[in-house]
Amino acid sequence: MNLRFHRAMLVYLLLLLAAATTLVPFVWMALTSFKPLADVESINPWPKVWMPDNYAQVFSQIPFARYYLNSVLIAGWVTFLTVVTSAMAAFAFARLEWPGRNHVFRLYLATLMVPGVVTLIPSFALMVHLRLLDTYTGMIVPASFSAFGTFLLRQFMLTIPKALDEASLIDGASSWRVFTDVVLPLARPGVITLAIFTFLGNYGSFLWPLVMVKSGHLRTLPVGMLFFDGMYGRQTNLIMAASVMSLVPPMLLFIAGQKYLVRGIQLGAVKG
Amino acid sequence: MSPARDSTLAAKTRVAIGERPPRRRKRNDLIPALLFLLPNLFGFALFTVGPVGFSLLASFTDWNLTQPKVRWVALENFGGMLGNHAFWVYLVNTLYFMLGMPIAIVGSLALALLLNQKARGLVAFRTLLYLPSFTAGVALMILWKALYNPDFGPINYAIGAALDLLGLARDVSLPQWLNATQNMLGIDPETVRFSRAQVGLGARDALLWMGVWTAVGGGNMLLYLAALANVPEELTEAAELDGAGSWAKFRSVVWPQLAPTTFFIVVMSCIGGFQGGFDQARIMTNGGPAGTTTTLAFHIYQKAFEEFQMGYASAVSWALFALVFLVTVANWRFGNRAGDWE
Amino acid sequence: MKATLATVLLGLLLLSVAAWRDQPPAPPPGVTKLVWVSDDNPLRREQVRLFNRLNQDLEVSLDPNNGGNEKVIVQSIAGVGPDLFDCFNGADLDAYYRAGIALDVTDRLADHGIDIRQGFWPAILPTSIGPDGRVYGVPTNVGHNGIWFHKEIFEADGVPFPKTPWSTEEFIEVAKKLTKRDSTGRVVRYGFLIDYWGWRAFMPAFGASLYSRDRTRCTIDSPESIACLRFVHALMHVHRVSPTPTEESTMSAQGGWGMGSMTLFGARRGAMALGGRWWLATYRGRQDLQLGAAEPPFERFRAWTSAGRTTMINKNSPNREKAVRWLLFLAGQEYNQLINDQADGLAAVKRYCEGPRFLLNPRFPEEDHNAVWREVSARAVPEATSPFVNQRLANRLIDVQVDLLRTNQKPIEKALRDAARQVDAAIAQNLEKDPELRRKYERAQRGEEPVPVDEQAFELVRQMP
Repeated sequence: MNLRFHRAMLVYLLLLLAAATTLVPFVWMALTSFKPLADVESINPWPKVWMPDNYAQVFSQIPFARYYLNSVLIAGWVTFLTVVTSAMAAFAFARLEWPGRNHVFRLYLATLMVPGVVTLIPSFALMVHLRLLDTYTGMIVPASFSAFGTFLLRQFMLTIPKALDEASLIDGASSWRVFTDVVLPLARPGVITLAIFTFLGNYGSFLWPLVMVKSGHLRTLPVGMLFFDGMYGRQTNLIMAASVMSLVPPMLLFIAGQKYLVRGIQLGAVKG
Repeated sequence: MSPARDSTLAAKTRVAIGERPPRRRKRNDLIPALLFLLPNLFGFALFTVGPVGFSLLASFTDWNLTQPKVRWVALENFGGMLGNHAFWVYLVNTLYFMLGMPIAIVGSLALALLLNQKARGLVAFRTLLYLPSFTAGVALMILWKALYNPDFGPINYAIGAALDLLGLARDVSLPQWLNATQNMLGIDPETVRFSRAQVGLGARDALLWMGVWTAVGGGNMLLYLAALANVPEELTEAAELDGAGSWAKFRSVVWPQLAPTTFFIVVMSCIGGFQGGFDQARIMTNGGPAGTTTTLAFHIYQKAFEEFQMGYASAVSWALFALVFLVTVANWRFGNRAGDWE
Repeated sequence: MKATLATVLLGLLLLSVAAWRDQPPAPPPGVTKLVWVSDDNPLRREQVRLFNRLNQDLEVSLDPNNGGNEKVIVQSIAGVGPDLFDCFNGADLDAYYRAGIALDVTDRLADHGIDIRQGFWPAILPTSIGPDGRVYGVPTNVGHNGIWFHKEIFEADGVPFPKTPWSTEEFIEVAKKLTKRDSTGRVVRYGFLIDYWGWRAFMPAFGASLYSRDRTRCTIDSPESIACLRFVHALMHVHRVSPTPTEESTMSAQGGWGMGSMTLFGARRGAMALGGRWWLATYRGRQDLQLGAAEPPFERFRAWTSAGRTTMINKNSPNREKAVRWLLFLAGQEYNQLINDQADGLAAVKRYCEGPRFLLNPRFPEEDHNAVWREVSARAVPEATSPFVNQRLANRLIDVQVDLLRTNQKPIEKALRDAARQVDAAIAQNLEKDPELRRKYERAQRGEEPVPVDEQAFELVRQMP
């Protein structure tokens, strides 16, 4: 009992320490967002004067709400489509057996290894060809077929005991039923993880929206926030205020999703 | 892990969850597999394979963005790259930053194991620990510049306090972090050879440790958490019945179950490591001081969009590809021998 | 899981409908939209508003950029570039010219009686005039550097305001008097704040140039260049009137990113600083500052490196003829006066930097230094570029060595010699690959190539009193 208590205390202590260090940047960011611009450079993190008005400034200087909507919309669609297409492909790679499977999979894996900088121009030219420049579609669709997601979910599906779907197949279930009713629910932690990664990655993506968008009303948060980082001076306090606000959607997603990350699976329940 | 031990435990756990031994009969699910793949494969072929293949072709040309004429130059770009001293400097920089990778992975696993305990309040900790991933980007990097401030930054303050505590004389000057070319391995910024004068803590180390800090509580921790959630309780219970201690339980039951995830993390970390360092260089150091924080990814960007040598940049990209590919194959082989990655 | 996916899908559809319904109004019939890739900031927006008011049939909209030129290049190569874009130096111009992105506007401007060789500050011309001598854009503004100073610090320390022209020795004396240390010897206020790139600003004053006159050799190791870097190095390490790179990062949370001096100066961590008139765009709201400005010190010449910007038209834009109207606007009175009023640098057209209205804006009576900005603009010299090497590559090679000399890891002469050798090696490599470039190089060596536009500008300033 005593030993157990000590161990729990140790766990908490370690976690507290880790959490404290990760909280520092966030707190610093939030404090800076309340500083007047002249105070931003000071080493002292505590604002001399509190400027809640900075948050109102963000909305009055740029159409922040619209950028917000665009970012959530684009990241949301990409996440949804990525999860669906990756899960299906991963199922084919992890749970089905067919000739050439490993070769195709290695091709998927290989494309992850080529740096994106050199594919920017051909990708962009393709978008122009498909007449997707300056559209939501152009920002959503190309990002929605992820080799990364396929790889991730494949690895997750590999950990699910094969006996489960084989039993179902013997019972006469179709592959689709096995996918939706057996494998997908069991791969839920992986799916949630992929959703969080994809949302975060696309929500913060910068270069692609920057070159893809010409119209003001399609700008995403990172592109729109360039307004505070102009050549003639950086409004760090407003950047921070905008950043604090833009943290909300991914945080909500994470809080909603994270409880599924640790719920252990009940094999017996699924089987019955 | 010892194979003998594994086989007994594996057999026991198979019995525990009622799994049949693997069947030998070959199945062929080609038609359903194609249907499942189709949506992803279609987009993948169009939006990924196309541009990637294009860049492969480009690496054999002298494509310059400012020149309308493009010539096939075969391996000239690759030869030029190997003969370019800068390429080797930046390769060393890139590899240097990857030194933090194993530390970050072990750290992530440790955190995930801690968070996977059945205790109250862990939900809050999970969110807190994942915060760096939300705050990533410009804000985080500006903050780290402040943390590394040689005179007023908390990092040097802590180092100074520790030195005082140990009673060490303060004649050692504190690290200059982002302003210094010194590094833990004493690599000279120009010759890339060892030099006594370069031993210390400088910009490379600053970015290395920042990377470790960001990665430990980041995506890898989440992946391990998700993977731990998929370890069937029957397995661990069976091991407990067997009288296994925590460490034995981890090694014989949990670790093999985590293998596919570990494979994923190692491969993605290698890819990320070889392609990394871009944002840090652009936002924090502009690749300096004296080029010490310019990684290959930043070099490719500079070649492509500052010097417009797209052909050369593509060649460097494909050289990187070859490196990552080799490492992945090695992982694969090694992994298959040591456990069951796949 | 199915229910979750369905809910998410429904939510996304609703959001999409909301985004779809909230479309900006289409431009009224007969109005053409022009896209200008530039930095999106309040000043720029005011300039665009003015144009749109004056030209009812055109609507310019700003498209932000990130400081690099990926956006313009990627879009233009795919044939969908912006209608208008910015160019910051001769090297960029050369790239746009060779890539066939920049529209030749020589005749179009001449039709409207505009000759940028006459009316504009000479130092800005290399960002507008191509290697073929044709005009590819109209300068938007100039941002030449001067010395900002805090009047009240001079007064409190009993130091008279700078009497210009002043030599580098006189300057160092003043900077020494204004540097303040605490009891432990730590500097609490520097005499002179200078950014990382600052040494480049002083090159012309020492008669130094990055390249030889014919642009075939890098001359960063010339005695003049060595003298220039020794001066800047001594400010930090000998006279200790300027922060070393370490000290600079020590004083500021963000420093070392090109904007360090501006913020530090605003916080009175320095009595003087090297900067442009555009700093006012940040400082004007500050009631607590009493600013003066003076021209930078001279050594052999009263000449300092220029900075500025030109806007160009995309050759492949379907609206290119209409976009010419924006260039005419840039050359006109309304725009240039707005630039001067906003303190978005200084008007690029000389004519609008004259007269009492320019010298003293009644809205900002405390700004008594506009004559100084006019003087430094007249004496500005563009940084030399060479057609034989990519300037960004050369800058990178030079910066590595400057980093080493600034941190005292390498003697000045050796570092600069290494830099020159590496740039020359890069030139040799280019010549080897490109026979046409080699022929041009040989012609240049024989003095058969025309004198570069940037060299002409330097010549002009050297002959000034």
